[in-house]
Formats: sequence, structure tokens, C-alpha cells
Amino acid sequence: MASRRPFALAFLAGLLGVLLPGGARAQGSLTVYCSVQEEWCRPMVAGFERATGIRVAMTRKSSGETLTQVRAEASNPRGDVWWGGTGDPHMQAGQENLTEEYRSPRLAELHPWAVRQAEQANFRTVGIYAGALGYSYNATELNRRRIAAPRCWSDLAKPEFRGEVQVADPNTSGTAYTMLATLVQLMGEEPAFTYLRALHRNVNQYTRSGAAPARAAATGETLVGITFLHDAVTQKIAGAPVEIVAPCEGTGYEIGSMSIIRGARNMENARRFYDWALSPEAQAIAAQANSFQLPSNRASPIPPQAPRFEDVRLIDYDFARWGSVAERTRLLQRWEREVRAGAR
Amino acid sequence: MTDAAIRFERVTKAFGVVRAVDDLTFDLPRGALVTLLGPSGCGKTTTLRLVAGLELPTEGRIEIEGGDVTRLAAAERRIAMVFQSYALFPHMTVLENVSYGLVVGGARRQSAEGEAQAMLKTLGLEGLGARLPAELSGGQQQRVAVARALVLRPKVLLFDEPLSNLDARLRRRVREDIRDLQKRLGLSVVYVTHDQQEALAVSDLLVVMRDGRIAQKGTPTELYDDPADAFVADFMGEANVLEGEVLASDGGMGRIAVGGAVLEAPMRAHPAGRASLAVRPEAIRLVSAEQGAGLPGRVQRAAFLGQTREYEVATEAGMLFVVTPAAAPAWEEGAEVLCRMERVIPLRT
Amino acid sequence: MGALTLGRLALLAGLAGVLLAPWHGMEDAAALAAWPRAEAAPLAALLADGERWWMWPAVGLLALAALPLVRGRMAGGLVAACGAAILAIVFLQGQAIGLRGLAWPALAPLLGTPAPQPALGWGGALVLAAAAGLIASGLAQRGRFGGDAFIAFLVVGSAGLLLLFVFVPLLTILSAAAIEDGRLAPGALAARLAAHEAWSLACVTTHQGCGVVWNTLLLACLAAAASTLIGLAFALLSARGGVRAQPAFRAMTILPLITPPFVVSLALIVLFGRTGLVTTAMWDWFGIPRSRWIYGLPGVLLAQVLAQAPIAFVLLEGAVRAIGPSLEEAAATMGARHFVVFRTVTWPLLRPALAACLLLGFVESLSDFGNPLVLGGDFDVLSTRIFFAIAGARHEPGRAAALALLLLALTFGAFALQALWLGRRRYTTVTGKGDSGVPAPLPRGLRISCGAVAWPWMGFTATVYGIILVGGFVHDIGRGDMAFTWRHILTGFEVEWRDGIAFRGSAWDSLFTTLEVAAISAPLTAGLGILLAWLLARQSFPGRGALEFMAMLSFAIPGTVVGVSYIMAFNEPPVELTGTALILVVCFVFRNLPVGVRGGIAALAQIDKSLDEASATMGGGAVQTLRRVVLPLLRPAIVAALAFSFVHAMTAVSAVIFLVSARHNLATVYIVGRVEAGEMALAIAYCTVLILVMLAVVLGIERIVGRAQLGRRPAPLRAGA
Repeated sequence: MASRRPFALAFLAGLLGVLLPGGARAQGSLTVYCSVQEEWCRPMVAGFERATGIRVAMTRKSSGETLTQVRAEASNPRGDVWWGGTGDPHMQAGQENLTEEYRSPRLAELHPWAVRQAEQANFRTVGIYAGALGYSYNATELNRRRIAAPRCWSDLAKPEFRGEVQVADPNTSGTAYTMLATLVQLMGEEPAFTYLRALHRNVNQYTRSGAAPARAAATGETLVGITFLHDAVTQKIAGAPVEIVAPCEGTGYEIGSMSIIRGARNMENARRFYDWALSPEAQAIAAQANSFQLPSNRASPIPPQAPRFEDVRLIDYDFARWGSVAERTRLLQRWEREVRAGAR
Repeated sequence: MTDAAIRFERVTKAFGVVRAVDDLTFDLPRGALVTLLGPSGCGKTTTLRLVAGLELPTEGRIEIEGGDVTRLAAAERRIAMVFQSYALFPHMTVLENVSYGLVVGGARRQSAEGEAQAMLKTLGLEGLGARLPAELSGGQQQRVAVARALVLRPKVLLFDEPLSNLDARLRRRVREDIRDLQKRLGLSVVYVTHDQQEALAVSDLLVVMRDGRIAQKGTPTELYDDPADAFVADFMGEANVLEGEVLASDGGMGRIAVGGAVLEAPMRAHPAGRASLAVRPEAIRLVSAEQGAGLPGRVQRAAFLGQTREYEVATEAGMLFVVTPAAAPAWEEGAEVLCRMERVIPLRT
Repeated sequence: MGALTLGRLALLAGLAGVLLAPWHGMEDAAALAAWPRAEAAPLAALLADGERWWMWPAVGLLALAALPLVRGRMAGGLVAACGAAILAIVFLQGQAIGLRGLAWPALAPLLGTPAPQPALGWGGALVLAAAAGLIASGLAQRGRFGGDAFIAFLVVGSAGLLLLFVFVPLLTILSAAAIEDGRLAPGALAARLAAHEAWSLACVTTHQGCGVVWNTLLLACLAAAASTLIGLAFALLSARGGVRAQPAFRAMTILPLITPPFVVSLALIVLFGRTGLVTTAMWDWFGIPRSRWIYGLPGVLLAQVLAQAPIAFVLLEGAVRAIGPSLEEAAATMGARHFVVFRTVTWPLLRPALAACLLLGFVESLSDFGNPLVLGGDFDVLSTRIFFAIAGARHEPGRAAALALLLLALTFGAFALQALWLGRRRYTTVTGKGDSGVPAPLPRGLRISCGAVAWPWMGFTATVYGIILVGGFVHDIGRGDMAFTWRHILTGFEVEWRDGIAFRGSAWDSLFTTLEVAAISAPLTAGLGILLAWLLARQSFPGRGALEFMAMLSFAIPGTVVGVSYIMAFNEPPVELTGTALILVVCFVFRNLPVGVRGGIAALAQIDKSLDEASATMGGGAVQTLRRVVLPLLRPAIVAALAFSFVHAMTAVSAVIFLVSARHNLATVYIVGRVEAGEMALAIAYCTVLILVMLAVVLGIERIVGRAQLGRRPAPLRAGA
């Protein structure tokens, strides 16, 4: 008997080890869910820690994943602030009462597009950067095929681009949904769908991630990739032979947003982060991190590489309407039925 | 308490709807070699496994040396078992195999190995301790299995068809060895086999099983000479079973009528009337047709086997199988003979 | 182990749980300073203060069970009933009274308005373990489980853990399939299950894609068949082919095992993408037009087979080696020629392993997420569709749950088929009788065809890994910019020497967490898996089928579903695990468990049961038998389970992407982030580091635990004496 006991005890201990909710919890006095690229998240966190001395724990996830997580954790929130990521999930979280209303004293310093978005969301979210939609093409491949450089949305529907356009699937990507909503606002719903059906014949793949087409265009996997312009800029700066196009008809944009999670455990620190993230110093970090969106604070420096809104014909994007769940579901279902199901 | 090594009280073991052991009750004496015998599927192996604790009974009570072990796990019963496949641990040396039981029982490795060495020597395996089982012959593996069981000095030692993987010559030697050891050490042994010769050779007590029940229990001589029914008679060696009539029986002799003839033969008392009568092949003497009383017949086939001769004789009562010593007179095929019975067994059913 | 001993141990655990250990979970270890008050208060202190008075019945039951145990005269039924009641009370009160006070209004008349209570902690866990021990000892005393309390405890304990960590989360999320707008809607369930997106057969007649179920099935069947075939070729060559290059052989086949899944996809794009190295070469030299064939079924299939074939190899090699040569010799002596021996003896004996391989390949393909994500193109499979149904722009948990149900159905279909194919034959080849034959060499034709499959595949694998190895050290392999650089490695793994070592690279945190979590979960997985396998294969007890089903269940569930279900199930008291490293460990243990169990069962099927029985009759209890007989014979299975669970813990993505937290981020999630950001080079560089780490660990495990010695002639280590 004596020799059996240690084994049994060891097993018991192992069992307990598995069962036990350990004492290890996030100790940071602020937990940030970050939905932009890692190398932008990190200096942001470091900058805030330097500025305030508050310790920050940060998780990086795409905005869709973060929304899922925030939703699942709603009854016992783990995060305090959700920073970055395209605006629609933030709007949706606001509609679902997952985020907290907060009016930052810095609201007055922001660009009008950011203020308008905050108003539309009942101040449950706020814009921190904006990026225009467009596309990039691989110049090397284009020259090799002797195709004229595209300049407009309509160019992409031409037969010479057959099988050469890549765009994300609006079901999975906020970027692609922004394109869908942009085209509908730009052309009107019926002509937009006629255009999309024509474009569909030229699309070689609907990727799942919004930024993937920019990468594909950079490596030549596709000729044209429809993305936010700043994603394409990142590729170009890394040395890819891509040219960036802001379509001549005009285009829509996303507003990268920030929200405070309802029931945040560190509400006070969350508000400090919120205010700080809207300051010009904080927004200047973006460019150092190879992110070339437009910052929302009017006083923030605009990186020279950033595609400026002045050079882009922007439409008056109605975030409240096209970000609503009902409208989004309707558009996506129509797209699925009339565009995606079509033959290529 | 009782003097029984093993006692079964109304033990039943059911696998689903099949009752492998059905309401079994018996006592097995201490210090004896008891053989469970029967055709495959008769429940003898299940009975052995119930003793070992490898199966737990569905109903009933099992005692070993007076203690209730019905719900006790195999490891706590202080029995040992030799398996048909030997079940030697392939990753351990012979010495490790033999000392295994001692070591898991809490003995120190050195003393355990000392005892194991001694046991190996007893069984004539000295010098093989460092080998792996795979490097031994079949007979050696068998003896290692026995050594491994014996070294534990178990209350009861169980054998599950231990000889079935050996050749005939080896089988005979090993069974004598087992019997010798058992007698020398005064072990209580339960032995399972389907080979009646083996059973007769080694047993103090035989238990013949059929369909999960005991068909008959007794000493080898009792079972051979006085089987209770046709099943036992046939299973305990060859028997000619004749339908006939007992006319009278008295004082160890009887008068019977079979196949139109009336014979006198040694026989235990049996009420007069129709009966099944078993006659062992060697209990029939063949004499020439002129010699008076006897069941007439014709030799259909004759074979010379060295020590014995075998005949098939067609009679009115049916075909008789006869074995005579080689020294007895030989008969040609086709010869007319009279069959005389030197012992007749009236069966109870 | 005796029932009484176990009962007393359980009693001790229960006492410790009530008197000493903090009853509730603590925010951090510093709270322990306040013991025995405040956050760290044990249940006894809470009860003394008049709080948690609804726990008095549980304490009373513990005392009731203690009486017979201390006196040494057990009443099994009573003790078991007490244990079960304690279990029920602890869980129900935790559910009923949560973070916001009473959660079940129906209980208000009984409980009043109790104060909110946080999750269970060490104390709660000890009491729960004690309850399991009481149940087990009571049942064992009543003669269940062969009267062995150790086995009883294993069964009760593992059943409890499986219920808690497999069944409950699954139930939580799958109930979502039948819920629409917060109400139960069977109609919605039916509609979701029969959805066009799942079952459409459009691809047969038009250019459109087929339903996602058909896609998944097609891919899984192809992947299972191809990987098994390639694995078999390797296994036959390695075990019987007389191949000299064993070490290289092993290394080459281990390599794909230890690879984060999507890195193979990346390498395949680099090779076969439209501007890939091979594609470009083909165009330049042969004028073969460049196409995008790699995106879709062919690419995903290739990536999955690259990952799965080595696993098949490991499984099948073990099986080939375990076939007793005397069986083949027997056939040969009966006059059968080489090939006939192979066909009539070797091949049928391989069937269980082959079935296991096919099943594993099939199920792995079903639950693969990384490769379809990167290479799928327009070719959608269930796992990605589920992921995007949850995490995509349209959030539809109901649709995701319905798709998950379909995925489950596919997996169980595969299990059923396997059972059907194997039937009830016996395949024991390691018996107590030593087997001293010499393995038969492969028939010549077969050896040549095995070589024809294996060697080119090896070359292909080498190329893919070459790309991975190089990719981390050049500027941008995707664009063919092959200038050497340390930049990517430095970004991730910079180390600074300034008063002590400082890990400045951005990848260090996630690497350390990953290693820690994998190192904790691998032995737990292997241990629990092998124990379960032994229980399932060797012990007969009521509910064995149900236990096996639960143990296998988690394998069939796509990782994404597991991740979300864990968040849903363990974010609130009584069991609150989100945000801890523990939830990652638990997730890995129960996700990888089926592999340990399968491997263990397959290995046990090759070991004669009489070996266990012999040990038992010689006084070896369940524990001794396990330790001295079964486990040594199961070494190959243990090595496989350890290595597999470690590697899978390091390479899993889909399940943990929802479970990582700020403090506990994992390497794969970090890499996915890099891939999303288009930083292929950094991703590949990190993967290279991961591969090296895993390689070292896997080889280390094999070195330490070693390979089984079964005493065949080719290994006469201890002969000669």
C-alpha cells in the first residue's frame, strides 16, 4: 500500500492542478484590446505607460474577434478599452450596449468626420484615425501585360482585368463591406450592383482579410488589390512595386475607432487612456509604426506618405445608416445572392 | 471454519444473457490438485477466473481458505496463476519476471531476487535469469511462468491450460514436474484443461463441467470407472454406450440383455429394467465364436498400435470399439468373434 | 488501492478544502497575505462569520461520510451518496448565486437575497476532488469497477473533468443553434442545418462552388487517403525496407510535425503562387502559363498532407514494428510467397492502425483552420465558415453552431465507419509468449513503389522547409528579394545585455508563455490520455461507452467553436478561468486528449490482456500493473502522445485565438497577426524559431522516455548473459 500512495497523490495533485482557477489574473491597471497591427499597438501602450505610469496589459486581435470577445465577456468584462479597428464593429458594440458612453474633453480638437461619427454613436465610440478606400496595382506585372494603368472604379470592370482583381469578402471583412457601402452610396444601389456583377467576373479571389489584397498585389499574386490606401502604402514603403490609386469617381473611408467597454474594471484609467489617445502626441506614434492613416486630432502631424483626404474625392459616408445591423444584413444578403452566386 | 481451499456457494457469472457459470456450489480440499475438465465453453476457465478474481461473480459467494473474497480484487487474493500464454512480461528479464510478484508485494529488490534465483534453481532454470522471455524455448518459458507463480507461496495456485503450447513429450514431463512440486510443497492447485489424459494423470480430484454446471465430481478412478452419465463417460476416455436391459444385479455381478444376447458381467447394483450401459474399450475381451456365452459380432477393422490392438466389431447392439493388449490373441478382419464384458457401467441417465 | 484508503484520502482533501484553502478564487497571489480573512478566507472562516450559510449542508454531508470512514466500517452506498450530494450542492450554489447575487429568482423564497459571490478557488476545487473521491470509494466498496478504488477514482475523476471541460462548453454553444432572438426555435435549427450554403450541389452543373459540407468532405477524404498512403510508404520503408538513412529519415519526417500549420501554406505560396519561384521557373523555361491553382482545394490538400503524412508515418511505423514476425514466418512456412505473406498477414494486421490513420487524417483535415485560411481562396470549408460566422462582419452564433453540428456529424460518421471496418476481430500481436522471429523484408515490387512515393515526397518536404528556413533570413522572400538580413529575427528576438539580460524582442513574451503552457499541458495530456485509454481498453465498467464518447468528442469539435464555448462557459462563477494561463492549459489538455487516448488504445490492442491479469494475480494492484507492466510496454504511445500534445499546444491557433489574454499571448496568435499585417518574413522567422524549439523538445522527449524494448532479435541489448 505504501508504495502506491505517492502515485495516487501525484495524480490527485495533477487533477487539482488542472481543476484550479489559479490566482494569476491580469494585473495591469489597464487592459487594452488593440485591433490595429502589433507594431502600432506596442508603442502606443509603451507611450501611455511612459506618460502616465499606469501599467497596461494589451491584447491584439482583429476587430471582429474583439467584438466576439467583448460580447462573450459582457457579463464579466476583462478589457477596459478597445482601441483601433474599423468603425463598424465599434458602432455595433455601441448599439448592443457593450460599450460605455464617454465625452472626452478633447472632442473639440477633432476633425469634423470624427465628431460626426461620435455623435452618430451617441458618444459610445470616437474616431481616432481615418483611411480612404482605393486600390493598388503591381506596376511590374501591369507593364509586362501592357495594360493601361487604371484610375477609376470603372476601369476595374474592364475585360483586360479578367481574373486580376482581388478584394476581400464583405461577409468577413469590414474593408470589403466599406467598399460595398461606398459603391452603393456613390452610384445608387441598382447601378452599384450592376457594377459589382461586372467586377465579379474579374475577381480572382474574395479573401477573408481586408488587407490581404494589398499584400497580394505587392507580390504579384494579383494585379490589382482593393484595400484601404494606407495598407497599400505600407507595402509600397517596404519596397513593393505598387502604385496606389484613389478612384476618380470618389471613394468612401473607414474611421478607426475607440470605445470604453461597459463595466470596465479600471474605468478611471480607461478614460485617461481615451483622452490621451486623442492627443496629437499619441497620434504621432502611428507614422513611426508604419501606419499611414489620417489622425483624427486636427493638431496631429500628418505623415508625408499618408494619402491625404485633400487628394481624394471622399463621399459623404453615412456611418449610422450603413453601419446598422439591418442595413448591413440586407446588403450582404443581396450581394451574396446577386453577385457572389454568379458565374465567373 | 471449513477446511476447504476454495468454496463456491451458488455462484453465477452471467455475460449479458449467457450464464457462463450457473449456480455453482462446491468445496475444493486443501493441499490437493483439483482439475476442472470439460469441453470448450463449459465454464471451466470462467470458474478459474472467478477464483483468481479476474472476474467478479454476478451472484453467490466465493471463499478462499475460509475467507470471503467475493468482492476482493485479484491483487488482494493471494493466489497465483499460470496462463495458457504464460503472460511473461516481454520487457523484463526472466529474473525480473520471477521476482515481480515479490517486488510489487513490497519486498526489497535484493531479497526478492534472491528468492527468485532460488526458485529458478528449483525449476532447473539457473543461469537464464538475465535473458528476456523471447530468448527462451517454449518449455523454458513455461517453467518461468510456473516459477513466477510459485515464488509467491500462494494460498491457491491456478493453472489455465498450461501445457497446451508444448509438444507431447514435453507436455508429459512438465505435467509430472508440476505434480511433483505440488505434492512436495503441499500446494492447493486448481488446474484447467480439456485433455482428459492430462487430467487423469495429475489430479487428486476431478470436476467435469458442462454448460456452466458440474456434471460430476470425484477421483480419477471414480470418474473413469463410474461415470454418472453418457457425457462424462464419453468425455473421460472412450466408451461404448449400449442400450440394454438389466435383468438382475447382485454382489458386484449383473445379468444384462443386449443385442439379443444375455451376458454376465461385473457391475454395480442397478434396479432391473431398461438402461444405458457403458463399456470401456479395454473392458471387452474377444474370444472365438465357439467359446459359448458372449455377444456375437464380426471384426470390421483391426489395427496394431505396438502396445495395443484396436478393433471395430459390428454386433447386434451396434458397433463396438475394442482395445486389447498386444499380447492377447490377434484377430483378422472378417473374423467372427464373441464379445465378453469384463466390466459394465450402468448410466444414471 | 483499497476503498477505505481512498475514502480517507478524500476526507483529508475535503478537510483541507474546508479548513485551510481559500474558498474563492483570488485576483492575484498577493491576496493570500490576508489569510484567513477577506479574499483568502477558507470556507470554515466564512461559515463562522455567518456567510455562505447555504454551504452548511455540504459540510454536514462531509461529516456524515466521515463517521464510517474513520471507524473503518464503510457503508459504500452512504459514502457515495454523500459525495454526489456535495458535488451537486457546490455546483448548484455556484450557479444560483453569482457575481450579481441570486441568479435564479425561483430560489428567492429559500435563499433570500444573498450577497454576490465570486468563483470557486482552491478550497472549492479540493472539496470537489474530495467529493469525487468519496463517490469512487463508495462505489468501489460496493464492488463496482472490479473492487479497485484507484480505477473507480480514475473513472469518476475523468468523467467529471470531461463533463466539465468538454461537454458543458459544447452544450452551451450548441444550444445556440436552436435559439433565435433569444427564444428556442426548432424551425430555425432545421433551416440552418439544411442550408443551401452547406449542401448546394451547384459545382456539378455550373461553375459555382459547391456546398461547404461537400467541400469539407472531399478535402478530408483526399487528405486522409493521401497522407495515409504516404505515411504507409514511409513506415514500410523505415521498418522493413532496410533503409540505411534512419536518422535523416526520422528528422525529415518529424519536421512537418513540428511546424505551425500556416507556415507551410506560406511556403507553398512562395513556391507555387502565381509569382512563386517554381511557377516563374516553369514559365521562363517551359512557357507553362502562370496560374493561381494553389489557391483552393489543391493547395489546402497539399498543405494538409504535408502536415499529416508524418503523423501517419509515426502511427503506422509503430504498428508495422509491433506485428509479431512469427505470424509472418508462420505464413511463409505455410508456403506463401513474400507478396502473399504481405497481403494475407501483414496487411490485415495493419488494418487497425490504418483505420486509426485514416480517421486521424480525416478528422485533422476537418478541424484544420490555418491552411484553408491562408490557401483556401474561394474554396470554403466548414471550419473557416464557422470562424467567420462568429468572428466575421456578420456575427451569427446560431449559424455557426448549426455548421458546427454538421462538422460533428461528419466526424462521428467517420468514427462509425472505422468501427464498422474493423469489426470485432482480435489483433493482439504482443503476447506473453516471447516472439523471436525476424521481420520479413518487403517484397521487391512493394519496396520500389514505396520508394517511388517516399523519396520524391521527401524532396518536396525538404524544399518547403528550405523555403521556411531561408525565408526568415532574407529581406522579402515573397517578392524574391533574397538579400540576407538579421532584421526579422532581431525584431522578434532581440536580447540586450544591460545590467542583466533583457528580452527586448517583441516575440519573447508570447514565446515564453507558449513554452510554459505547452510544457504544462503536454504531460497532463499524455498522462490523462494513456490512463483513459487503459481504462477504456482494459477495464469494464458501466458507462464505458459514454466515457469513450466524451473523451473523443473534443477532437471532433472545431477549434473556433471550442474557443468561443470556453469563453462562454468559463467567464463566470462557479468556474471562472478566462484571462488565466490555466484556461489555455485546460483547453489544450482536453483538445489533444483524444490523440493520447486513440494511440493508447491502439497500442493496448497489441498487448495481450493476460499480461495485466498475470500482474493482478501476482498481487500487482491497478497502480503497480500500470507502472510496471502497462506503461513500459506503452512507451511508444506515450512518446507519441507527449510529443504530439506538446507540438499541438505550440501550433494550435483556432481554439486559442479567443482565449489568449493580455498577459498570456501565444506564439501562433502573434504569428497570425504578423501574417495579417503582411509581414511574412517576420512570421516565417518566428516559425523557424518555433520549429527549432519544438525539434529540440521532441527529440529530447524521445531520448528521455526512450523507445520500447520488446526483445526481438535485432535488439539483443540484454541477451548474451
